Amino acid sequence: MDMTGKKAPAEGKVRKRAISDVWYSVLLITPATLIILFFALFPLFYAINLSFRHVDLTSAVGIGPYVGLDNYRFALNNKIFWESARRTLIFAVGAVSIELVLGVAIAFLLNQLRWFQGIVRSLLILPIASAPAAVGLVWRYMYHPDFGVYNGILAALGLPEQNWLGDVRLAMPSVIVFDVWQWTPFVALIVLAGLQSLPKEPFEAAELDGASTWQVLRRLTFPMLAPVLTLVFVLRAIDAIRLYDAILSLTHGGPGTATETLTYHLYRIGMKYFRLDHASAISLLFLYVTVVFTLVALRSMMRVQAERARRA
Amino acid sequence: MQAKTFTMADLVRYTLVIALLIFFLFPIYWMVATSFKPPPDVLTRPPKWTFEPTLVNYIYAFEEANFAMFIKNSLIVSLISTILVLVAGCLASYSFARYNPGAGHLMFFILTTRMMPAIAVIIPFFVIFKTVGGTAIGRALSLGLDKPGALVVCYTVINLPLAIWLLHSFFQDIPVELEDSARLDGYSRLQVLWRVVLPLAAPGIAVTAIFCLLFSWNEFLFAFLLTRDVARTITVGVAGFWTQRGILWGPLSAAATVCVVPMMIFALLLQRYIVRGLTFGAVRG
Repeated sequence: MDMTGKKAPAEGKVRKRAISDVWYSVLLITPATLIILFFALFPLFYAINLSFRHVDLTSAVGIGPYVGLDNYRFALNNKIFWESARRTLIFAVGAVSIELVLGVAIAFLLNQLRWFQGIVRSLLILPIASAPAAVGLVWRYMYHPDFGVYNGILAALGLPEQNWLGDVRLAMPSVIVFDVWQWTPFVALIVLAGLQSLPKEPFEAAELDGASTWQVLRRLTFPMLAPVLTLVFVLRAIDAIRLYDAILSLTHGGPGTATETLTYHLYRIGMKYFRLDHASAISLLFLYVTVVFTLVALRSMMRVQAERARRA
Repeated sequence: MQAKTFTMADLVRYTLVIALLIFFLFPIYWMVATSFKPPPDVLTRPPKWTFEPTLVNYIYAFEEANFAMFIKNSLIVSLISTILVLVAGCLASYSFARYNPGAGHLMFFILTTRMMPAIAVIIPFFVIFKTVGGTAIGRALSLGLDKPGALVVCYTVINLPLAIWLLHSFFQDIPVELEDSARLDGYSRLQVLWRVVLPLAAPGIAVTAIFCLLFSWNEFLFAFLLTRDVARTITVGVAGFWTQRGILWGPLSAAATVCVVPMMIFALLLQRYIVRGLTFGAVRG
């Protein structure tokens, strides 16, 4: 077993180990673990510390005295906080559900294509690869009430033009459409990969038994796809509640606060008003919720992995 | 396989596919088209579909807005962080695949750190770099605010979990027997890793590298908040066309095209692995 063509060391016996396998494995993970632990835990403790103090970088107070739970009380009693949380939820539920339904439908459609399947699949990759901050601005141009191409198309069709990002009721749906544009292909491609890796035998058996299409879908396809569907749902949901780039490039949270999600709200308090105490308290609450959700949800990822290991 | 004739069902399917492709590709077309429009044609009502292509927007972006510097910054930061990620990631991921230290819990913890909302940790990062930037070490490693070192650190931390998980799925594919027989040939464990495992995992390492480059290149939040001027990256550069006096749509489209198109080409090259990378190695394409 010599991959480089160099002289192989003495054959026949395994060289004596200076350290045990356990220590060796720990040594290998040390650099990565140190990096991650330091940069995950230090910010965490720092934020916890700030969240219990009075911190206002715009005044002479700077990093001030400890104030107990005041910052958390402020956050939880603050209507703006709850409204931004509600908008985050509306965005996430709206965007993710459309993406899942549309993505699964596209996956089934592509799976049935007999020509050009590969080309269509490649073209669908393009939105995923583009930087949301950059294409978000391009979409802002396309949504422009006067010079935007979407209103241009509506006008050409004789339909009423819309103020896509400037109308309080339309702004959030417009942001959702942008997210759907960028991430539906993600769902479609993963579900398609899942569909194409399903074993053939159960389907042939079902066909022999004369099962209807609906029965096959309900009893075979969807149950067998369940791990992949859960995974894709989890990954999309986690990304949707963290959405930030799109809001900043499309609306800056506006009009008014119509599209101010939690992340944008945090940005405003922390990086514009420099109230690091309030921002830290809110980010810790936010972090707590996402971590709990992630812990529960990502177990499904482990299950997909285990499933694969079992099949292999 | 059914007969290769075009049926009624096919007609419906391909009509749908064309509609979908228009929806998903039109914004990209419009971005590229706008980038070649002469300035007066960018702000017309209704928008113009035909025009005389020109390069003025690109010339403006590179000559007036110093766009080359943003590209250079993005390249430096993405490449250095990707190298760091690959070194630490390969060692850790191999160890997880072969010896499973921490019985899965540690690896799972690493994945959860990737899911943290960046905005929730940005304030501590901001303060760290502000503090460290003033010290001698900070200056030597260029770690302060508006310094590329700070972004290298951030992108390394962000991409490590992805790299560890993605590489794990590739390392798992390498038969243990190959390593065992190399051990019997008298190779030390490090030699096995260097001469047997890493060459076999080369495609996986390449895929991981491209994914790290893609995420670093496209990253916006850290770059936006941790840089001011000289260390700005390409995504922040694109946003820079949103000026006090209004948004310069023509140059912005040119900049966005320069930002987006290379990554699209990367993604097309990666397409066999795109599903695997986007699911952290959990689903194979």
